[in-house]
Amino acid sequence: MAISNAIYNAVFKRNSVYVTTIFTGAFAFGIGFDTGVTKFWDSWNRGKQWKDIRHKYVEES
Amino acid sequence: MLSRLPAAALSKQGAFAAARTASLRPATRSGSVRFASSDAASSSGFQALLNSRATLASATLLSVGSIAWYTHLYGSLPFISEVHASSPAEAGLHPAAYPWSNKGWFDSFDHASIRRGYLVYKDVCAACHSLDRIAWRNLVGVSHSADEAKALAEEVEYTDGPNDQGEMFQRPGKLSDYMPAPYPNEEAARASNGGALPPDLSLIVKARHGASDYIFSLLTGYVDPPAGVEIREGMNYNPYFPGGAISMPRVLFDGLVEYDDGLERSPWALGTPATTAQLAKDVTVFLAWAAEPEHDERKKSGIKAVILFSALTAISLYVKRFKWTVIKNRKIFYSPPTGKGH
Amino acid sequence: MATLHAVKKYATLPPTVRTLASGVPSAPTVNLAARAVAGHGHGHGHGASARSDAPARFAGGVKLTSAGLVSKSYLTPSSTGVFQQRLLHTTVARKDAPNVPDFSDYQASSDSTNRALSYFMIGSMGVLSASVAKSTVTEFLMTMSASADVLALAKVEVELGSIPEGKNVIIKWRGKPVFIRHRTPDEIEEARQVDWKSLRDPESDEARVKKPEWLVMLGVCTHLGCVPIGEAGDYGGWFCPCHGSHYDISGRARKGPAPLNLEVPAHDFNDAEGKLVIG
Repeated sequence: MAISNAIYNAVFKRNSVYVTTIFTGAFAFGIGFDTGVTKFWDSWNRGKQWKDIRHKYVEES
Repeated sequence: MLSRLPAAALSKQGAFAAARTASLRPATRSGSVRFASSDAASSSGFQALLNSRATLASATLLSVGSIAWYTHLYGSLPFISEVHASSPAEAGLHPAAYPWSNKGWFDSFDHASIRRGYLVYKDVCAACHSLDRIAWRNLVGVSHSADEAKALAEEVEYTDGPNDQGEMFQRPGKLSDYMPAPYPNEEAARASNGGALPPDLSLIVKARHGASDYIFSLLTGYVDPPAGVEIREGMNYNPYFPGGAISMPRVLFDGLVEYDDGLERSPWALGTPATTAQLAKDVTVFLAWAAEPEHDERKKSGIKAVILFSALTAISLYVKRFKWTVIKNRKIFYSPPTGKGH
Repeated sequence: MATLHAVKKYATLPPTVRTLASGVPSAPTVNLAARAVAGHGHGHGHGASARSDAPARFAGGVKLTSAGLVSKSYLTPSSTGVFQQRLLHTTVARKDAPNVPDFSDYQASSDSTNRALSYFMIGSMGVLSASVAKSTVTEFLMTMSASADVLALAKVEVELGSIPEGKNVIIKWRGKPVFIRHRTPDEIEEARQVDWKSLRDPESDEARVKKPEWLVMLGVCTHLGCVPIGEAGDYGGWFCPCHGSHYDISGRARKGPAPLNLEVPAHDFNDAEGKLVIG
């Protein structure tokens, strides 16, 4: 109960704080979600994508 | 409550019970009490059974079920004849479903395969087939690096212009140029191929039933015509091709193309063996990519969209319940007045 | 809920009432119009009043006098439908009986957790919606930007080695002509000596070129969009044949109706390969 009260007082109590949290949260979530999905995608398709085979054909100068 | 219902309703209740147990005895009333107005209900056993909702539901179920069963058994509805424009042989043999590495929901293209497939296209297919919708720049970051793609483009001469003097001139290709076509126009293509037009391959995987499976089966499916099948001179027999007779001869043979992924940097590593099936698989993957260059990005966006929208749906349902709970849980109290009279 | 069963008591009374044909129990001797005791705590003299929830007199009832039953009337028509004997069944009222219906299963165990959870869920919906809306809007705006095939044409590379000193080259870039002039040292000198602050569109030659020997400009007259002719005009630069605008060797408007200097596109030099990249 203490935790939920603390969260309530910290975030939900003032609407300005609440809305700000939502929008910064949305921003952070967008980045994090993209990263997460990309990470999953890359691990699921390991070795199949161009970035995985690029080193075979391109000499790094 | 029950006792205040009109008699008919009660007898209906009985019919319900009867129908549910699927016995054919007439509906009995649920109590031993006689009803004062039994007229309406007296003929009722059968009538109520006819009128009951259970009868309606089971009759519907029976008819829909038998139609479904019949269609499942025979593939068509009775009394509704079908007209087929072609026989199964004319439609071509149905290709098997192959486990393409980009088949699953989360699977990207195998880009090494696209690269090998481009080589097959360039060495074999491009002799007759164009690939109008793919530019050299499309290869960049997919199967070739920018420098490689530039080098490939520069091997081809393009007509550009007009220049200052108003004349067209030849120049080496640039990344923004599209892949060269083998024939200048359709007539030239037909003339060189005995009247048959080699289709443009940009969207061929999307444009054929069976998609990748069909292309692969077609490329590897050339056999001698079975007894009784006459194939015209200049035509070839391929059971997967609708009609069986195809103008394109078998083009892929073992070792026809030398793959460049033999890794010059490690002389012991062998390149991908260029068997017929491997060539066909690679070129099919390449053509599938050409038809759907957005494929990888599309699947990735799909994953994101499904996750996001299902989460949003779930939370929306929660919030809906939350908002409605005040209304749904409303209790109405009756507090008798104390009799003060004002 | 176990406690509820323990305290429930039932008492079945003998059938002192008969049931009407409609199924409604009828107890004619029970006086529903019973009045409250006279005087109810505050004396303001209106006497006892009828309970407001008792049936009104016009709703009928049983009238008994000392002579016996006088009248019996009901506004509710009796039906001939169901006749059933009912037993009056009462449950002993209990002050501590739990609320019926009982909502305890649905009530949150802790108000503060519940409050925080509700806000959290609504907030999460906001976060997801905002994120989805942002992606939707960005994707939509992306459709308005240049497509890949246009971007592929947006840059042009020019071999500088093939342009001799003192020569003009005109190339096409995004459908417009671009003048590239390899200027001689004399021309550079000439362009830099002009008192540029007194010009119509004051701009120094240093600001217009990245390397003094290479002048790169869009070949579109700033007056009405004609293509000027090179190495012509009163100032040794360009001359627009349409309305007679003169540009100097730095492409600045000097005479005629042109209001501005010839535009310099974004360009860059690739020294390693000796190339000029426009765009």
